[in-house]
Parts: sequence; C-alpha cells; structure tokens
Amino acid sequence: MKRGEQMHKNKKGTDKLLSIYWFVILTLVAGGIIAMVYVFYGPPYDVRGIESEIFAERIADCISQRGFIDQSFFTGGNFNAETGEKFTDKCHFNFNVEEGYGDDGETEYFYEVEFYTLKDLTTPVFSFNDGNVNWKGDCFIKKENGKDYVRLAQCTEKRMYALSKGGGQYLIKILSVIGKSEKNVKQ
Amino acid sequence: MRKRGTILVENIVFIILNLLFLAILVLFLMRQGSGALVLEQTYSKQIAMLIDSAKPVMVIKMDMDKGRKLAEKNGIDFNNAVKISGNTVQVKLSENGGYTYSFFNDVSVSTSADRDEKGEYDGMYTFRVNEKRGTNA
Repeated sequence: MKRGEQMHKNKKGTDKLLSIYWFVILTLVAGGIIAMVYVFYGPPYDVRGIESEIFAERIADCISQRGFIDQSFFTGGNFNAETGEKFTDKCHFNFNVEEGYGDDGETEYFYEVEFYTLKDLTTPVFSFNDGNVNWKGDCFIKKENGKDYVRLAQCTEKRMYALSKGGGQYLIKILSVIGKSEKNVKQ
Repeated sequence: MRKRGTILVENIVFIILNLLFLAILVLFLMRQGSGALVLEQTYSKQIAMLIDSAKPVMVIKMDMDKGRKLAEKNGIDFNNAVKISGNTVQVKLSENGGYTYSFFNDVSVSTSADRDEKGEYDGMYTFRVNEKRGTNA
C-alpha cells in the first residue's frame, strides 16, 4: 500500500471517530439542558412567603387604623375577648378552602395576635389565635436550627405599636403562618 | 475536483445538522417556559395573591396575553380560562390541564376577559372584588 493511500484511509477513520464523539457530545449537551430545564421548571413556585406577609398585613389592618386600635377590642376599659374569638369573621378570612392538608384536610392557615403593654414586654395582656395550631411549631424549628426546611410552613412575624382611644400604648405582635406545602414544594 | 465537492457537501450536512440540533433545543426551552403547566400555575397563584391583598369594590386588571395565545392555540375560550368558585382560583389553558390555588380573603370575585373595539380578546382580564352577600363591612 502506498503511503498516500494509507494516510487517506487513516483520515477517513479519524473523521468517523470524530463524528461519533461529536454526537456523544451533542447528546450530553442536550441531556444537560433538559436536566437544567427540569430542575428550573419542575418544582412549583413557592409563594407562601408572600402569602404569609399579605396575611399579616391584612391582620394588622384589621386591628388598627392610623395607629389607633379598633374600638371593638375594648369594653369597659378592658380587652373584649369576644372580638378575639370573632376576629376571623370580622376580618373576612375564610380558612375552609381547597382540600386542606393531609388525609384529614387540615386547615392550611394559622395566626396569633398578642398585645403587650410597654411596662411588660414579656407577658401578653391579651391574645387570640385561629386556624391550625400545629403549624405554629414550624416557625420556631426554623429559627432554632437556622436552616430553611422547605416543606415546613412559612411564617411572618410582624410587630407594631398602637394606641387605644384612652391613650394606652401597646406593642402588638402578629404571627401569620401558611402551610400549603403540597402546592408550593416539590413532594 | 470531485473530492473537494464531497468534502463541501459533508460540511454543509454537518452544519445543517448542528443548526437543526440547536433549533430543536431552543424550541424546547421556549416551549417549557411558556407551557400550559407553568402558565396555569403562575396565573392561579398570582390571581390568588391579588385577591388576598384586595378589598371590596376594588377592580383589578391583569395582563394575561401569553395565556390568551396559549388558550386560543389549545381551543379554549379565553373567557372561561379563569374560574373562581368559593375561595379557589382555577386557571385552565389546555384541554386536559388546569391548576387551582386557594385564597383566604372571604370575598366574592367576578371575572371577565376584556375585549377590544373589534370584539376580540385583548389579553387583559378583569377581577371585580365585592363583599360576599350576607356579610357586613
């Protein structure tokens, strides 16, 4: 075999080998892109953080307007427990929605409101809550461990100062919690 | 001369195949980004958030033009793409699809797709938030 013919045959072999490698590379690139797209679009959008903030804002709006606590919270100079009990209806909240959480269809929402006087910021003088109290624990797990466990409920804690009509000053703590992990986190 | 011609044809085929590969990838990416599943979920959650932060007598307009195009492509009447029953929003942009998300604001919401002067859907959706009957302000 002449030297020229040998070189020509080798070149053909190299070309074939190159094209096989090229298709392997193309397949790898395509696979990589498909995997990235799946990772990006696969998990649902987590809107619970925004939802719990809106929830806390709505609760705050319901308690005080322009820095004054709603008059319905007081009766004869004391806090009116009935207002706390009927707060969910008063603020037009509806927690009985969708299929709920788990097999029992538990409520996906929880809120807690605490009133403190400025003299004692450790013991609330008045508090009330509604919704699924089981979600409350999730808020503290995250804080203690400093980790973001995505399947736990999302919480928002809001603090504000407000006055009663009689001039009493209060610190109000609002805790709003949204479960809904089934719709917002990849299962 | 014949050899050179063969090399040129091979190169052209190779380039065409590469371009075809890239085009398929770009199409795949575009379809994923504007797919019914993604849009249905996005819209239903956006609408639920809007309703949660709304108060009675508010009128909210939302741009859903991407959804309109997809609904028309899939043979869905855009006016029926968004349904609110009880406290749940359902967005449906394809025949077999549909995504629901709930809101906590206990209000009554009516929906309608806006039309332009020609009577065709312009891609905007209107949400009218009202108090539920039998509740006080």
